[in-house]
Amino acid sequence: MKILSIAWMNLRRAMRDRTGLFFLVALPLMLVFIIGAAFGGATTPLLGVVGDAGALRAESSLRVKDFPDEAALRSAVEHGEVSGGLVRTGTDTPRMLVRPDRTGQQVRMLVTTTLTQEANRSAAGDFVASRTGLDRAAALSAVDSVRVEPVEVRTSTTGEALFPRDYSGFDLGAANQLVLFTFLNALTTSAALVESRALGVTRRMLATPTPAGVVVAGEALGRVVIALLQGLIVLVGSALLFGVRWGDPLGAAALLGAFALVSGGAGLLLGALCRTQQQSTGAGILVGLGLAAFGGCMVPIEFFSPTLHTVAFTTPHGWAADGFAALTRRGGDLLTVVPHLGVLLGFAVVLFALGAWRLRRAVTA
Amino acid sequence: MTVLSCSGLSRRFGDVQAVDDVSFTIAEGETYGLLGPNGAGKTTTISMITGVLEPDAGEVVVAGQPMSTRAIAAKRLVGYVPQELALYPDLTGRENLRFFASLYGAARSRVDHVLDVVGLTDRAGDLAREYSGGMKRRLNVAVGLLHEPRLLVLDEPTAGVDPQSRNQIMDNVRALAAAGMAILYTTHYMEEAERLCDRVGVIDSGRLIAEGTRRELVEKLGERDRISLLLDGDLAHAAAMLGDLRDVRNVAVHGHGLDLVVDDARECLPVVLSAISSNGVVVRSVEVTEPDLETVFLHLTGKALRE
Repeated sequence: MKILSIAWMNLRRAMRDRTGLFFLVALPLMLVFIIGAAFGGATTPLLGVVGDAGALRAESSLRVKDFPDEAALRSAVEHGEVSGGLVRTGTDTPRMLVRPDRTGQQVRMLVTTTLTQEANRSAAGDFVASRTGLDRAAALSAVDSVRVEPVEVRTSTTGEALFPRDYSGFDLGAANQLVLFTFLNALTTSAALVESRALGVTRRMLATPTPAGVVVAGEALGRVVIALLQGLIVLVGSALLFGVRWGDPLGAAALLGAFALVSGGAGLLLGALCRTQQQSTGAGILVGLGLAAFGGCMVPIEFFSPTLHTVAFTTPHGWAADGFAALTRRGGDLLTVVPHLGVLLGFAVVLFALGAWRLRRAVTA
Repeated sequence: MTVLSCSGLSRRFGDVQAVDDVSFTIAEGETYGLLGPNGAGKTTTISMITGVLEPDAGEVVVAGQPMSTRAIAAKRLVGYVPQELALYPDLTGRENLRFFASLYGAARSRVDHVLDVVGLTDRAGDLAREYSGGMKRRLNVAVGLLHEPRLLVLDEPTAGVDPQSRNQIMDNVRALAAAGMAILYTTHYMEEAERLCDRVGVIDSGRLIAEGTRRELVEKLGERDRISLLLDGDLAHAAAMLGDLRDVRNVAVHGHGLDLVVDDARECLPVVLSAISSNGVVVRSVEVTEPDLETVFLHLTGKALRE
């Protein structure tokens, strides 16, 4: 009961900190959105057009925005305000402006296909009009009435895709942001533990009929609860707001729980080691972002060199990110991530043991 | 009945002997002042009494229960008000009290009671960081009262507070002692010790160098009350006549007046004035000087209390 009371007090204090709430709730979801949009989220590409958009305006998989001149269009493409740009004035050959990314190439293919279809339709209309004597509008109507069944192409897949066909940028961003922020915020909120010691509150707790072990366990549980809350915010928020799919629910819940334990343990250790809040916040950001980078939360582990790949799996982030990848990209379930859970729980045990030992020394010495 | 008994308490930090063989007792309803300059060992002694720190030697017994860092039963009997404001600034006054009530196992109804005792009921829903220094001090005291302890340990509870809050805290302490609570009180304010404490222990360099009531300490040091008189009349005759009085230890003539050293100025003064006026000498002014704890402290430690 006392353990819960201490943990609840930690959670309540975290909720009172408005700056902390921004990092706990708003920033992770904002990054999920930004990364999702940047890496081809579920939004419909926006095509900037100078001149005649033609059939592109009727294309359902594109949105069209008009620009007055090429300079304005180029700037918009460069700043990512539109997915690509089309300059189509007079009888000049249409020109496209795209960034060298996947979305740009997709927009280019879509524009090329649509404009080719438009040219074919026009040519077919001219041909029908010249052979039948119909006026051009009637000829085009006759062309439009022709229905050609799509050619069936049988496809068999071979090898392994890095990302599933329906895997969106939101799916990629959400898992990595969950791992990054769960750990990072567990470390930075450990400043509250340092503050408790500096204020003399921890010492006062020890003067109550509460064993030192219970005080340490309560503080540890508080760190885990905050980490768990952070993970749940990203998991549930990204699912509801951006339709992120997390794979097998049991597997995802187990991974989140295990990683929250790791994060809570790391927060406990950092809070016990640091003497000032500035130390714990600074070290928390450094360690949190460093491990996230080496653990594949900023760039997927699959893009790492063999050496970095090995390094990634020396961090809890690497195991957590790979576990979520197994669930969301490789169709895995709870059994698939059992090795990941084992390693993460190992990290948690070591971090909690060190943190509890150090905190106990810090408050009773 | 003895509530607190400390015997032979010692604690060393590295090469520093912070507390060295300290022994004293506090009875039910008694307020005991532990006085000493900074670094004298007061807080270390308190840490051992409250079970926060384990002594190297000696023992603490609270109402028959031996105290240690693991002594849950003994800790239930002790309320601790530390020198620092050991409160969460981002929780309200009530939330702080509820949190500590849960650790003490105190009923929730006690929260409202102690808020009333320290006069914070109206501000109970405000964040502690929004309190004035005096209100924070009162909340700090309230935490120590949550579980109705037998022994209340107050480590400089009025440091840096406004006179109104200081008076309220002192009134609270007096009322608690009157209700039978044993109180261990440390302070930098000598007048507080004089007004509140039944007995005082002076600690310096980790050792308890003197102990007793104010009068006992004064007498131990050979300090006595003084009465200075400004007179019109035959000073030599008056001096001779006063020198024969039982409680007057010494008489000295200076200018137009006399300086008397007496056992107890308050008891002796009416007798002195009566004797002078019956001999036709006119009293122009009277000044009484009673040696205070500051004098005792200075004599014992060579330092003022606030050093």
